[in-house]
Parts: sequence; C-alpha cells; structure tokens
Amino acid sequence: MISVDSIDTIDPESPEAAGFYCDRPEAFTVRMSEPSTPMPSIVCTDVTQRYDDEDGLFGSGGRTVTALDAVSLAVDSGEVVGIAGPSGSGKSTLLHVLAGLATPTEGRVEIRGTDLATLSRRHRTRFRRTNVGMVFQRFHLLPALTASENVALPLVQEGVPRGRRRDRAWELLDAVGLADRRDHRPGSLSGGEQQRVAIARALAADPAVVIADEPTGELDRETGERVLDRLTEISDDRAVVIASHDTHALERTDRVVRLLDGKRQ
Amino acid sequence: MKRVRRAWGTVWIALRQLRTDRMRTLLAVFGVTLAVLSVTLLAGVGAGVTETGSETFEESGRDLWVSGGPIEIAPGAVGGFQNPIPNAHPLAAEIDDHEDVRTATPLAFQVVYVSPDGEEFDTTMGSGVPGAGDSVSITAGEGFTGPNTHYADGNYTGEMTYQALVSPELAEEYGLEVGDTIHVGGTVQTARENEFEIVGISPTFANFLGTGTVTLRLSELQTLTGNAYDDRATIITIQTVEGADPAAVREELEARHPEYTFRTNQEQLVEVVERQAVVLAAGASLVALGVVAGGALSLNLLLSIVYVQREALSVLRAVGATRLGVVGVAVTQALVIAALGFVLGAAATPVLAAALDRVALAVTGFEGLVRVPAYAYAAGAAVAFGFALLGGVVGAVRVTRLASANDLLQ
Repeated sequence: MISVDSIDTIDPESPEAAGFYCDRPEAFTVRMSEPSTPMPSIVCTDVTQRYDDEDGLFGSGGRTVTALDAVSLAVDSGEVVGIAGPSGSGKSTLLHVLAGLATPTEGRVEIRGTDLATLSRRHRTRFRRTNVGMVFQRFHLLPALTASENVALPLVQEGVPRGRRRDRAWELLDAVGLADRRDHRPGSLSGGEQQRVAIARALAADPAVVIADEPTGELDRETGERVLDRLTEISDDRAVVIASHDTHALERTDRVVRLLDGKRQ
Repeated sequence: MKRVRRAWGTVWIALRQLRTDRMRTLLAVFGVTLAVLSVTLLAGVGAGVTETGSETFEESGRDLWVSGGPIEIAPGAVGGFQNPIPNAHPLAAEIDDHEDVRTATPLAFQVVYVSPDGEEFDTTMGSGVPGAGDSVSITAGEGFTGPNTHYADGNYTGEMTYQALVSPELAEEYGLEVGDTIHVGGTVQTARENEFEIVGISPTFANFLGTGTVTLRLSELQTLTGNAYDDRATIITIQTVEGADPAAVREELEARHPEYTFRTNQEQLVEVVERQAVVLAAGASLVALGVVAGGALSLNLLLSIVYVQREALSVLRAVGATRLGVVGVAVTQALVIAALGFVLGAAATPVLAAALDRVALAVTGFEGLVRVPAYAYAAGAAVAFGFALLGGVVGAVRVTRLASANDLLQ
C-alpha cells in the first residue's frame, strides 16, 4: 500500500518520477511508506446520499431523493473497479462521494485511511488535490493553457515551483505518448489526445486514487481502447474507479460494481 | 514560499484566461472605460458649472450685490422685465456714502431692439450702467467718454450721450467695430429713432448672461424702456474699499436698508444656482445615473466574464483549487479589466472634457463649463475597482456554488 504525503516528496530527477513513462509501468511507483497493516485505498461504508429535488419558483414543494442507499465498497491499490448501472442509478453520486466532492448524508468514506468527514472543507480540498485524480468524459481541459500547462495545473494549486511543474508535466505527457504535443492547446488536439492529457493531469500530484467518469464516452472505439490502456497501466500502485455505460470498458476492469436505484446489486 | 507560488499561479491563470478570450476582454475593458467616462465627465460638468459661476462672480470685481426681490417678467411691458429696485440712483448714492464702500453701481437689464442699419431689428439683452468708473471691462475702444449729460439729480432732461458698448458676440454678428453706429430702443419705433455710437467692445455682461449684449448709460436705457419715471434698476453692485470686510459691510448696509437684500459673491452665486433647482436636480440626477449606470455596466460585464468561465473555474475546483483560489482567479481578472478600463477612461477624460467644453461654449456661450476635478477621477476609480471587486467575488462565489466540480461529472 502506498502513501504519498505530498507532491513535494517527489524528486523530478528521481527514478520514481522517471517511472511515469508508460513503457515502464512498474515505475509508476513513487516514494512509498509501508503502513504497518495493508489497507484498501478506498473504503466506502454504508453510504447513503439524499438530496432535496427542489421544485417550483422558490424551490419549495420538492421531494427528497435517495441517490445512494447504504452502498459499501472497498477498492485496493492496484485494482481497477468499474461502476455500472443505468442513468439515474447513482453512479455519478457515488463518484462525487468517493472523490470528496460531496459529503454523504449517512455512512463513511475513507481514502487511504482518512475519513473525509473528519476534514474541514479546506483540508478536504487539499487532501483531494494530492490524493484523488479525476478524469472527465468531456476532458475539461482549460483552453487557455497548453497541454503541458493543463497537466501541471494541480501542481500550480499545490505551489510547486515552475521548473518542477514543467518537468513533471513533460514526464507525464511522455508517459501518455504526447511528448510532441505538449505545447499544443486543447483546441488543436484530438479527443483521444485531450483525454490522455486529462489522464496525465489526473496523475500530476501522484494520487492514490483516480476516478474516471465515462472516460471513453466521447471517443471512438479505437481511441477509447488506448485511453483504457493508460488507465489500467496506472493502476499498478493506485486504485482506479471507472464509471461507464460502455460494457467494453467495464470488461477491462478487475471487477464491476452494479448500481440500481442507488443500491448495490 | 508555497503561498507566494500559489498566489502567483492564481494571477498567471487569470492572465492566461484573459489573453485567450481577447475579444471579450477588450469589450469588457471598453465597457469599464465607458463607465469611468460617464462618472468623470458628468462630475466634470457639475464641477465646471459651479467653478465657472464662482469665478465669474469673483472676476466681476464686485464684493456685494443688492437685490430688491425677484425680477418679474412683464411680457406686455417695454423691456420685458419689471426691475425690482426703484429710485436706484439715489439709493446707490446713499450706499456710496458708506465709508467702506468705494462705489455702488446700479445696473439694469432689459430686452431691447437693435439694428445696425435701422431697417431690420433683433432683440437682445440691453444693460444699463452709470457710465463712469470700472463697472464694465473694455477690450476695444475707450468706453463711455465725457459726463453724463442726460441724468442729473433725479432729472432725465439732459441730452442723451448716444454712446454704447457692444459685446464681442454682437459685434461679430453684425460686423460692428468701434466708431460704427447701432440702433437701440425699447420698441422698434424708439430703436429706429435712436442711433448710438459704439465706443467700446465689452464682454462683461455677455460673460454673465451668456448672450450678446448692448450696454448703455443706465439713465438712457431707463428712458428708452420706459423705466425713467421711477428710476428702476435690476441690481446694485458694491465694491468695498481695500481691506474692508464685505460681510461686515453687508450687515451694516442691511441694517440701514432692511427692504433690500445684500449678498456676498458666494451668497449671490448660491442664490442664482438655487433658482435653477430643476437644472440642479437634473444635473444631480445625471451624475447619480452616471455612477449607477457605470457601476451596473461594470458589474454586469464582470459577472458575465466570470459566468462564461464557469466551466474553467469548475475545472480549477476539480483539480484541487480552494474556493478562495477560484475567487482569486475571477477577482484578478476583474481587477485587471478594471485597471485597464480605468487607465483608458482617465486618459480619454481630458480630451473628451475639452471637446464637451467646446460644445457647451457653442451652446451656452460660457467657457469652462466642463472641468474635471481630481475627485472625479477618484470616483471613476471607485466605480471601476469597486464594482470589479464586487463582480469578481459575487460571480466566483456563485460559480463555485452553482457550478462546482460536481457539474463536470456526467
């Protein structure tokens, strides 16, 4: 089980950093400290999420919707877990909760042993920055920035020096096969390239958990395959959760958790 | 050090966002520039009117103004006005006797008919002055010469001098020079019969009234307009002796002549301005509207800038930016736009103020009606930066609430 306290622990000149090249997936391993007892990267216990489905001009007259109903899930480091289910089954809500973007109404979410509910909003943001990487269906790269700058974005938020940010971004773009596209803006990249930039960005702070929401949803089959290759490659030392409708994508995962009406099947 | 790097990172992202969407950035800067201009120019008009009025009174060389009440319009009467001070000559002489008074000058204003050739007549403002002393300034010619042969000790029986001063505007309009003649009268008939020699060009009353004027000796104007029977004047101006306190002189004269109102220059200006209550209210409304409209425009533009970037700001949240960091990106952009808009607005203000002043001069005849004081620039800066800050913060907070990282997930 890995434990990364901060991106500052990564030396860009070190073999660990160089290990982000995809031809050496084993080197995705970064500096590790072995806890006394192994634990899953994600532990989600009896998570229930309800929200008011506001209706009307003043938001009154709404009803309470149970998006997740006592869902439990554990994902180990090195494991790729697929989340499947029809629209409205609670996939996105579960991703919100696992990513620390939403606090569950009931239950508990631990990432690398830290109960997210015990963190203040600010600390949760910081914890998320260094422990959770996110990949979105529509990539969501900043059009104002180059591929390299997009990858380095989480490190900007972390206050990493410019030179180290650049080195790290270049290494990650090399790792996803985009070394020659690092100075291109998203507008001049294909969908597959943009998604690979997004994956590199998700890895910038070397998170223990990567959460991908429909990562192949906007891509053709062949490009989607390459993106799934990358996502499975990076799972050697981290937990990867992929929510998808795509059965082919789900087949690439180690196991699939199915949701229906907010309940685990 | 990390905090400094984070802060600089925020600025860097903000600048990159602005650089990418150049057209929107330029339009926003232009909008803020307009907002700043609306504040500086409207404040400039307000300040210019007040300062010009004040200067006009100061430059008049008068220290006190005597009024007998409001000037009533008398459409059916010759001259068009019922001047409020009867027996003006003896009253001026009485005031003149005060030890601290150098001169007391009765002045009358009436509408008169004028013509350079005695055939076609126009109406203009006629002013009457005693004829001696420095009650009017002369820019060409010698002014009134010789004694007032027409009036003496309350009698209007002497021969009129037929000397007149015209304002530069009137001289230009009719192509008149010193030595030419002009017909002046309270009616067309009397104007046709009375031809005056132009003995000087004087801008004094044109400066006050903002229109072309012809100036005669007071008694001759009174005779031509039918006011000789009760010796009526519009106002009496007083020059005090060197070192005298106008306020103290005013109190003493008020005690002696309680039926008249004595005012200092400042009081007279306030009185004049107060009579223009509607104009003042309109001016104040314009300034208020300028500030409100400028502010609303800035706020709307900056909120829009932030709103169209909600996805980018949500991405920042998703990659670990704190809410403060996202607000920082939005506010930095707003402040940069405000700074550029303010600099452009402030730079354009003197040029546009000068142009506006020329328009005002052409329309009103007064120069210096648009003067932009330092506080107008401060108000412009307050509008630009204040609303930028508000727009940035409100916009970013709304975005982080409404379009958080959650919305990036499908």
